[in-house]
Amino acid sequence: MLRKLLKHEFRATGRIMGPLYLVLLVTAVGANFSTRGLLEGDGWFLDMLGGLLVIAFTVAIMGVCLMSLVLMVQRFYRNLLGDEGYVMMTLPVSIHQQIWSKLIVSAVWFAATFLAVCLAGGIMVYDVDFMKQFLKGLGELIQHITGYYAINGAALAAELILLAFLSCCAMCLLFYAAMAAGHSFANRKSLLSVAFFFGFQFALQIISATVVNLLDKIGVFDLLPDWQLEGLAGMHIAIWIGIAAVVLYGAVFYFITAYCLKRHLNLE
Amino acid sequence: MSILECKDLSKNYGHAPALDHVSFTVEPGHIVGLLGPNGSGKTTLIKLANGLLTPSEGSITICGMAPGKNTCAAVSYLPERTAIPTWMSAAQLLDFYGDFYADFRRDAAEEMLHHLNIQPKQRIKQMSKGTREKVQLIMVMSRAAKLYLLDEPIGGVDPATRDYILSTIIGNYNPEGAVVISTHLIADVEKVLDEVVFINQGRLVLRSSVDEIREEKGMSVDALFREVFKC
Repeated sequence: MLRKLLKHEFRATGRIMGPLYLVLLVTAVGANFSTRGLLEGDGWFLDMLGGLLVIAFTVAIMGVCLMSLVLMVQRFYRNLLGDEGYVMMTLPVSIHQQIWSKLIVSAVWFAATFLAVCLAGGIMVYDVDFMKQFLKGLGELIQHITGYYAINGAALAAELILLAFLSCCAMCLLFYAAMAAGHSFANRKSLLSVAFFFGFQFALQIISATVVNLLDKIGVFDLLPDWQLEGLAGMHIAIWIGIAAVVLYGAVFYFITAYCLKRHLNLE
Repeated sequence: MSILECKDLSKNYGHAPALDHVSFTVEPGHIVGLLGPNGSGKTTLIKLANGLLTPSEGSITICGMAPGKNTCAAVSYLPERTAIPTWMSAAQLLDFYGDFYADFRRDAAEEMLHHLNIQPKQRIKQMSKGTREKVQLIMVMSRAAKLYLLDEPIGGVDPATRDYILSTIIGNYNPEGAVVISTHLIADVEKVLDEVVFINQGRLVLRSSVDEIREEKGMSVDALFREVFKC
């Protein structure tokens, strides 16, 4: 049933994200033409057109990023907690399947948005002289850093991408938990959802600070110099601790969402 | 086994009771009218049967099971408001119901949509409010479900549409299943009911067959309703 939920969720969201990606790529081509020559033209019209194409590209990037976030919130709110909830919450599927379908689709769109923006950026800078020189210089800089510090760039990049991806998923679950908790009440559901969102964030920061403080007090951090950690190992450990923390608080928000939807759903 | 069974069922919203120790059963093959004035607890009872709410006390079972994933496969639910996704086309809606419900009769649904001159590519949001309600009813009644829970199916529609809705219900329900129709428009539904359950302020007031009411009390269900709920 999860597969069927995913199919219809992609159908619902793809009709919005697909055309947006297309617009992004088209504006990237326009921005490429602009940076390759239009801005250096003599006529005021070409100058203006070049400027507009670059602005359109910037707006398209912001639009795609914003829409993937808005869609994540809107699909959960409208599809499960709004009128459509009467249909969705009476399907022969579990609450967990409902949450996973929303989470997976949102995560896929976040990843697709990242790739689309990278691709659009690639199109925009394709065969542009100053960008070629800039990228060449950046590549040399990374090579020097890698050579000097012996950093395993590929592993570090993979870990950072994993951390970013899991952080996006945990952020989705934070939104879901806030909306599910807010909609457990009979009145002022939207206002309460916003209050829960900030409340959960505040609680997360307080708990994180308290845990770090406690670990410091019991002397965990005093052990670190004895480990003789090198810079590279220290970075890997820090990223993996970050990943574990994100998974942990993501799991807490998941269970809050599932509990509220299962036990306290309060559709109008 | 009863298709729907409520035992001492109570539901409170805060301190306010919406249902107060309600007990009754619905047997297969029966069309039951869940009748009561506005705010009497009809919708709450139907939501409890669908697992959209959890009971405060007592129990509610469908085919012996507590509401959940398994009972949703056996229940066809018509909510009191239009809840089908409006971005979908009629054909996508058919796909949706066909994907999730093994008992969905796509051919019957297509025939009813065709009868209403609804094109498969037409989007739900392009339809009038009345047509959307009809499409939702068609989806619900195109299932060969064990229990149909219809919440105010004829509320807020014109008399011609009421006739269409009632004929669609009667012409399409699974005879081995049961139908529960919640409404306060008694005169319109009386002709299709086998049994009635009167509910007021969350309490069960009367449960009887329509024939018993006519024979023993010598009045129509509508007349009895007006007498019982006289202000």
